[in-house]
Amino acid sequence: MWKDLVDLLFQAYEQFSLLPLFIEIALAFIIIAIAATIFAYGAILYKRYRTYVHEKRVAFISPIIEELITDQVLLNENLGKDIPTEEIEFDKEALSNKVYKKPFVRQILIETLIQYRKNFRGEVGELLRKLYIDMDLQKDSFAKMKSMRWERKIKAVVELTQMDISISDVTILPLTNSTNPSLRAAARNAYIQLSKNEPFKFFDIATEPLLPWDQLEMFKIITTTKDIAIPNFSRWVSYSSNKSVVSFCLKLIAHYDQQSAIPAVMELLNNKDHYFRADAIICLGKLSAEVAEEKMVRIYNHQPLNCQVEILKAMGAIASGKYLEFLKTEFLYSSNFDIRMNAARAIIKHNTQNSRLLVEELMEMTHEENQLIIKHCLNPLIKY
Amino acid sequence: MGTTFIEYASWFFETTVFIYGVGLLLIYAILAILSFVNIRLFLRKESYTDYKVIVGSPLAPGISVIAPAFNEGLTIISNIRSLLTFDYPNYEVIIINDGSTDDTLQKVIDEFSLVQVDFAYDVKLSAKPVRGVYKSTDEAYAKLLVVDKENGKAKADATNVGINVSAFPYFLCTDVDCILHTQTLQMLIKPIMEEEKKRVMATGATLRMANSCEVDEGVLITIKAPRPLLARFQELEYIRSFVLGKMGWSYINAVPNVSGGLGLFDKEIAVKSGGYDPASFGEDMELRMRMSRYVYDNKIDASVRYIPNTLCWTEGPTSVKIFMRQRTRWARGLLQLMLAHKKMLFNPAYGRVGLVVFPYNFFFELLAPVIEFLGIIYYIFLIYFGLVNWPYAIILLIFVYTYSVMISTLSVLWDQLTFQYYRTWKDVARIAAMVFIEMLIYHPLIVVFSIRGYYFQLTNRKHSWGNMQRAGFKKKADDKVPKNTNPAAT
Repeated sequence: MWKDLVDLLFQAYEQFSLLPLFIEIALAFIIIAIAATIFAYGAILYKRYRTYVHEKRVAFISPIIEELITDQVLLNENLGKDIPTEEIEFDKEALSNKVYKKPFVRQILIETLIQYRKNFRGEVGELLRKLYIDMDLQKDSFAKMKSMRWERKIKAVVELTQMDISISDVTILPLTNSTNPSLRAAARNAYIQLSKNEPFKFFDIATEPLLPWDQLEMFKIITTTKDIAIPNFSRWVSYSSNKSVVSFCLKLIAHYDQQSAIPAVMELLNNKDHYFRADAIICLGKLSAEVAEEKMVRIYNHQPLNCQVEILKAMGAIASGKYLEFLKTEFLYSSNFDIRMNAARAIIKHNTQNSRLLVEELMEMTHEENQLIIKHCLNPLIKY
Repeated sequence: MGTTFIEYASWFFETTVFIYGVGLLLIYAILAILSFVNIRLFLRKESYTDYKVIVGSPLAPGISVIAPAFNEGLTIISNIRSLLTFDYPNYEVIIINDGSTDDTLQKVIDEFSLVQVDFAYDVKLSAKPVRGVYKSTDEAYAKLLVVDKENGKAKADATNVGINVSAFPYFLCTDVDCILHTQTLQMLIKPIMEEEKKRVMATGATLRMANSCEVDEGVLITIKAPRPLLARFQELEYIRSFVLGKMGWSYINAVPNVSGGLGLFDKEIAVKSGGYDPASFGEDMELRMRMSRYVYDNKIDASVRYIPNTLCWTEGPTSVKIFMRQRTRWARGLLQLMLAHKKMLFNPAYGRVGLVVFPYNFFFELLAPVIEFLGIIYYIFLIYFGLVNWPYAIILLIFVYTYSVMISTLSVLWDQLTFQYYRTWKDVARIAAMVFIEMLIYHPLIVVFSIRGYYFQLTNRKHSWGNMQRAGFKKKADDKVPKNTNPAAT
């Protein structure tokens, strides 16, 4: 029987080899296409089935985990009795349940604990952390840290950060300069949250950029994390060669209203990069740095449009009243619409007797389009 | 002599078609691999992305959402309410009433307590005159700006006005009746904010058919595969085009088109490129090409990015007549675009756009229907003269059919591997079934309508826009004309 089959295949091959090349290719592709299609449908079925099974398993295990957390943490009878968290003991029998040995369950447990810790601070938050440690879940996280896959490393960094488990500088600092942007961002965020003494130390060694999306995340962490030691960010404005770090520090200087940073920020007005100069001007405006007005006016005529617009906005924010004439000239004689619009806004933002008189004067002396600009800027319904 | 010529012509045609076919099949195979790699990379990043960081952040870039409306009186209120629900801290919604002849404007004025305001703006892009600008006296609608303008007979004209009055450095172009995900803005701005070296000039995401979805007050309640056959074919086409095609192209920074239904653009580049062209039948693809020309001419290292998430649901036509009108217009737009930017073809000065995107569009989008049409005529000719080797012909037909089934099935698989928008097996089966009959029913329609579009364009036939009015979402979908959400250029 086997011999017949081999003969048959041999004959088929002989006939196949007699066919023209393009037909041979077509036949080969037909077989590949049919196999790939069958495989694709199999994969769709498998994927949906796996999702279904996963959901079922999560649905089964979640109540058990919730019960554990409720019994051991939320309803722990030692809570509120001024007993130090580290001295509170959990029910060892409950923790040693076999189900918690399974990697899948342990991962769900970690994720659930993280969710709870986001909602509970204080004693309950500390007890959740203790549960994480007592169940040796940090070992799982540290094991992920050793993985070659960057997304596993990120998962580990996030888990350890959320559970406030310190990671040694030797491990985390190199990651803050990783060439992988995602890993780099996660490591930087972790470093800020975990480092008790110098959370911004990595700024000193940062050679890789701090991307705008990462800045969002870091800004939120810095401005919402309790007990974080906020340094004077002008240090990096003056000395960092990483443009994105300087740009981010300018935003933080403005947010924390670090008036002492004004001289360092003003130095950036001489920088060759006009985007950089624009960032510095925005910062000076937010700091209401009256001392910078004179320099901004002096350099104004040599600036590209984006910097000129930012100077006008900054002058509106500072609103010292010293340069109303300058603003008036720009409004009346500039041929650029954005300049006139921002000059008008800056005058109106002064909101003083002089500025109001100037607005009235401008309404009388200027042409129709400029009058429309003033009306636009005066209308409280128009925000932008 | 005559026989020799026919033989020579036959040989030439067959060889050309063979090379062309192999090239097309190879491109689809490469796209399938690239999209798979790109989607996996996206999902790995996505698994720990917390979009909440942008909600409430003072560092979020401003985005202007621009949505033109023409005779949308039936649905305009729920459409605007839907657009005002984005989870994003820094945006405005600009509705352009493009000279509606129904009560669209009055309904909006009444519902949102609008008053006419003196609004100054710079006319950076030319468009039909503006009749009035309206703002709400209700603080709850402070993000809303309504512009009433004369009808420009094109979405492009209205969008240009929206760009002129917009306040922010990025704008989202959409259609007022598209249903957008509440996280659309944060998801589309992310590729711009996380690009290390290039300036991202546009981002887009997947569009799908909303025909059988349950919608309440402009908000999507339940996602379902379309029931009408024509809409279901389009759903499959969109999945293949966006999830497999555009994600593949995005991986090598060669996205040919950002759909008119949903695209986030860098305003500075769009304006400096001249904005949308109201005379174009495919203004979305045309703008993308012009933006590319601008960035290459000015030595700006820029890119276009796509994400696989479905963020926009749109109604597809369910009648052949309206579908024909739509595809004829798209085909005209493609031919128009190729002629207008022919300088870019194989021009190394335009980098990947000149050497990859444009040649792909030319050979495999523009010429594909023509070659298929000629092939059918040639086949008939061969049959008539008894020159067909039937066993070989059948093998080749099966080859093309199985290959096309494989590519479409892979796109459904990629889609299922990513988000599994359909919750039931039945919905997946409905789409999967289309894979086997698409080539026999839907594809011939596309070829015929494309040829029709080319013919109309070459003979300069006046375009009839037809009735663009909508009946709004209902449980039983009516025939509607879709917007310019052309997924064709994958």
